[in-house]
Amino acid sequence: MNRNNFLPHVALALILILVAAFAGQLRKWQWKRTVRIMPGADKRHDAINNGQIASDESNEFSPPEVLVKFKPGVRAETIERITSGLHDRVEDQIESVPGLEAIDDLDNADAESVALAYRGLPEVEYAEPSYEISVDDAGLGLGPVRPRDPRFAEQWALANDGQNGGKQGADVSAMRAWAVTTGTDKVVVAVLDSGVDYTHSDLAANIWVRPASVAPYEDNELGTIQDFHGYNAIENSADPMDDNGHGTHCAGIIGAEGGNDIGIAGVNWKVQIMPLKFMNAGGFGTTKDAIEAINYVIDRKKHGVNVRVISASWGSTQKSRALDDVIQKAYQEGILFVAASGNSSTNNDRSPHYPSSYNNVISVAALDRNDQLASFSNYGPKSVQIAAPGKDILSTWLGDDYEEHSGTSMATPVVAGVAALVVANEPRISVSELRQKLLASVDKLDALKGKVTTGGRINAAKAVGAE
Amino acid sequence: MAISKDEAAEKARKDLAQRLGVSTSEIKEQSVEEAEFPDMSLGAPAKDEMSGQMITSGWRIRLQAGNQTFEYRANKNQVRLYNYKGQNFVI
Repeated sequence: MNRNNFLPHVALALILILVAAFAGQLRKWQWKRTVRIMPGADKRHDAINNGQIASDESNEFSPPEVLVKFKPGVRAETIERITSGLHDRVEDQIESVPGLEAIDDLDNADAESVALAYRGLPEVEYAEPSYEISVDDAGLGLGPVRPRDPRFAEQWALANDGQNGGKQGADVSAMRAWAVTTGTDKVVVAVLDSGVDYTHSDLAANIWVRPASVAPYEDNELGTIQDFHGYNAIENSADPMDDNGHGTHCAGIIGAEGGNDIGIAGVNWKVQIMPLKFMNAGGFGTTKDAIEAINYVIDRKKHGVNVRVISASWGSTQKSRALDDVIQKAYQEGILFVAASGNSSTNNDRSPHYPSSYNNVISVAALDRNDQLASFSNYGPKSVQIAAPGKDILSTWLGDDYEEHSGTSMATPVVAGVAALVVANEPRISVSELRQKLLASVDKLDALKGKVTTGGRINAAKAVGAE
Repeated sequence: MAISKDEAAEKARKDLAQRLGVSTSEIKEQSVEEAEFPDMSLGAPAKDEMSGQMITSGWRIRLQAGNQTFEYRANKNQVRLYNYKGQNFVI
């Protein structure tokens, strides 16, 4: 190099530096825009853990796991302290939205669990998993999420594409809801019924187990029950195994494990179902045993179990003040009671059905696959609040099997399941807010005008803010 | 243990004969039909009873004694007497 060609060399060096810098920025832009639909942002971490891809190979373009919006006024030092304390790192600040941080979890934890941890902090406005989104799917909107459970196509209640003569779209918009949340094992739903087959392959992973930190159930008169996963009020024992099938069917609607390549998907892919048995092999039980079972749920709640919903697919025309009292007590403890409106085709405003007609309960009517009120369903513009699919509903059954059944029994756990999804998305929501949110999250139907208070079918996507 | 339609009908006959204080030969079987009931109490809940709100298949058994007709409802799990003197009974 001499004085004559010095400047060209410097210019060339500068150009090369600029090109390299631009290429780096280009790569950054690429991973923010790229992709394909993926139900759950934890697949990459599973792949790492299973040795299917090397962690450095995935980290090269590894997207952030969680998007966290800190409240205005939260300082950078505080954000750093929080993320370090959770063993995370700030991958990127989204400058256009002050306080919005893209955060990478260094523990390879489940994205939903990481988001949940942030949601519980007072400094955080919201937190959500970072979804991978197809650029072919209307830009960065929340595209529907379809589970790979083999019998999902038969679950018209969750996704009605007109199968078996149904009406396309006559469903609870589950697939859009799942783009926001597929549920979490931090939420417990009590299924107060004939018990649950907790060994069913599509339920076992979602059955509540009493944590070691929670003492066994004690009743002054009944003694100590070493409850493991629920309670049997008929025998006052720890075994709520279902010997009828009805409770197992309802449990599957709420939370058959989703995305496990087995059977069906529940409204919640992940949840904790607390089985409670008060109905016998014939499918009926006493008011007294129902009260004992609710008493158990309240006790577990007081001992720290995050039980937020009771699903009650049963009833009769007989009123019980004692049952009403214990249901109100459950509500005061933050537990929403969802009940079947009944199957006598009658108007509950004139002929009440219990427990669905008690205060603070959400009473559920049943719809068929054409968005019509099911012919058997009770209704009531004042006393029945909402409707959900309840005819020809496929769900789990005894013997590791699946069956279709009909009734307001089937509609009830759909609403209970949506309630659990809302809680998964908003863990701090109060029971009254939860009730209001569910009743405000409907698709109004002509068939329900003057039949149910809301005039509508539950919409899970609206309930979790996806629509 | 699951019971059959014939077993349910026979159980109903014996129950009715006992209630009326007559022999089973005086009880005539009018009809035994497949039926769908609104709930798991077969639409015939006993006092203080709650039942699953699922449409339940079973049999409607009509028996005649003298000039009166009595209705029983049954499935593989149970037999019930419907609306006998204003009440329902699990047999």
